[in-house]
Amino acid sequence: MQKKVFKRSRKAALIFMVPAATLVLQGCGSEQAVEAQVFNTPDECAAFYNPPAQCQAAFAEAQALHPQVAPKYANKQECEADFGVGRCETAPEQHAQGSFFMPMMMGFLAGQMLNRGGMAPQQQQSAAAAGGRNTVPNQPLYKARDDQSTFRTAGNTPVASQPGPTQVRPSAVQPKPATLARRGGFGAQAQQRAAAAPRQTTYGG
Amino acid sequence: MKKVPIAPRPGWQAFAESVGFQFHTIDNEPYWDESAYYQFSLAQIEDDLEAPTEQLHQMALDLIPDILRSEQQLSQLGIPEQFWDAVKESWQRAEPHLYGRMDFAYDGKGPAKLLELNYDTPTSLYETGFFQWVWLEDQQMRGVLPEGADQFNSLQDKLEQAFAELPLPRPFYFSSVTESQEDKGTVDYLMDIALQSGLDSRYIQLEQIGDIDGQLVDLEGYPILGLFKLYPWEFMLQEEFASTILSSDTRFLEPLWKLLLSNKGILPLLWQKYQGHPNLLPAFFDDGKTPLSPGWVRKPLFSREGANVELVTPQGERLQQGGPYTDSGYIRQAFAPLPRFGDSYTLIGSWVVGDLAAGIGIREDNSLITKDSSRFLPHIILD
Repeated sequence: MQKKVFKRSRKAALIFMVPAATLVLQGCGSEQAVEAQVFNTPDECAAFYNPPAQCQAAFAEAQALHPQVAPKYANKQECEADFGVGRCETAPEQHAQGSFFMPMMMGFLAGQMLNRGGMAPQQQQSAAAAGGRNTVPNQPLYKARDDQSTFRTAGNTPVASQPGPTQVRPSAVQPKPATLARRGGFGAQAQQRAAAAPRQTTYGG
Repeated sequence: MKKVPIAPRPGWQAFAESVGFQFHTIDNEPYWDESAYYQFSLAQIEDDLEAPTEQLHQMALDLIPDILRSEQQLSQLGIPEQFWDAVKESWQRAEPHLYGRMDFAYDGKGPAKLLELNYDTPTSLYETGFFQWVWLEDQQMRGVLPEGADQFNSLQDKLEQAFAELPLPRPFYFSSVTESQEDKGTVDYLMDIALQSGLDSRYIQLEQIGDIDGQLVDLEGYPILGLFKLYPWEFMLQEEFASTILSSDTRFLEPLWKLLLSNKGILPLLWQKYQGHPNLLPAFFDDGKTPLSPGWVRKPLFSREGANVELVTPQGERLQQGGPYTDSGYIRQAFAPLPRFGDSYTLIGSWVVGDLAAGIGIREDNSLITKDSSRFLPHIILD
């Protein structure tokens, strides 16, 4: 018997455009917040009943990370517009017209390494041992010009409004290298032509 | 080929929205129209559309080496000189291409006439590949259309296969202009198929693409090594990041060489080489100024969705569509009337994936110029 040859697809399924399916794709993990601590200085860290040596080490790690992860600006004015006058410093990178600028480090986030007076939380230690993205790395914190009470990561995630213990979602506080990318270099023609022909809904054809 | 009225499925709009087809109605005008369908015989599909599509596609590909050897032709096509070498390299490296659509005037009898190639940013993909496919299945399930009815529409199968087989960098990024819901819908559909084929796919708004020392990067600064862009090449070549096209280690879909085929200038070049071919219309480069004679259509080299097209019928009726594409050269093409069914003029979009014909989508308009507002109607094959 001859099998009929169809001129159409065997299937036409969607897995990600359909909202219900999207949930499946994203998985069922509502991530658990873990405890970390926020301090202005290593001394303040030690005052919160943490081992001074570990406070010093966490602070040093944050300081080392600072120039790598702090947001970068082509000039000081732009940086100060976001972080406040007198709160920006030169970044290590250079561009054609001079130095990049970055906000000063205003504090640090200490991850699960602190053992708070010798009483190490068991689950945090095992999380640290497992490594990866369920841990909270020690890192620098910043404060925005118009919100001087909130500590924020380099990625602009608010983590606390006062020193001491706080809850953070590990995935939200993973340090990333700051990008010096220029953006917005594609799409200008679309804007011009949309202004000329507002009815246009597609840039395909 | 005939047009057959049919009752729309009750509640189809809500279903459409639930599967991502937000633009089924545009500015309160119907875009997806299932109050009728077109019916073809298998011979009409295979002999008059499928075979000519693959043949014309090969003819167009065969023109590329000629164009790349000819500075005159590259100039005629309006390709900026600083990109000539890059276009050549993208062709010589055999950078893979994904898809294209050719538009035909066809009335069921005689040869389909090629109106143009949409080979860079063709849209109406989702409507063709997914929604009209589901429409047929649905109407068969309801017993409205016979089980034996088929559709010329292997678009999703062929795209899935292409994504699985093309040598694409991973992760592979998909991009469109932020403000266009319709373009996002098209890109979402392509990404959906790419994900089903196992490709690690990510979306980035076109305006958010970054440049670090000439390398295109994503929001986190990671290099974009593969990018599908639903945005015309001729725009990108004029914009601030144009030089990154030369410097960035990025494989594009469509590849840069598609710039030659998405250009209306390919129509006079096809006519020069294959004059008299039954599927081709006489076409010539045009200065854009001389008054158009009856029986001719003028189109900008770069134009989308019927914008800036001017047409004078053999009877002397003049039609002109405004638009934003006034900054390139023009071509003039012999007028081939779109067939009329009831009050509507009908255009057939015939898809190519890789190098194979992959199905058709039908657009209807109240005028002889098919536009972005033209309605999309489903079709079936039934002998």
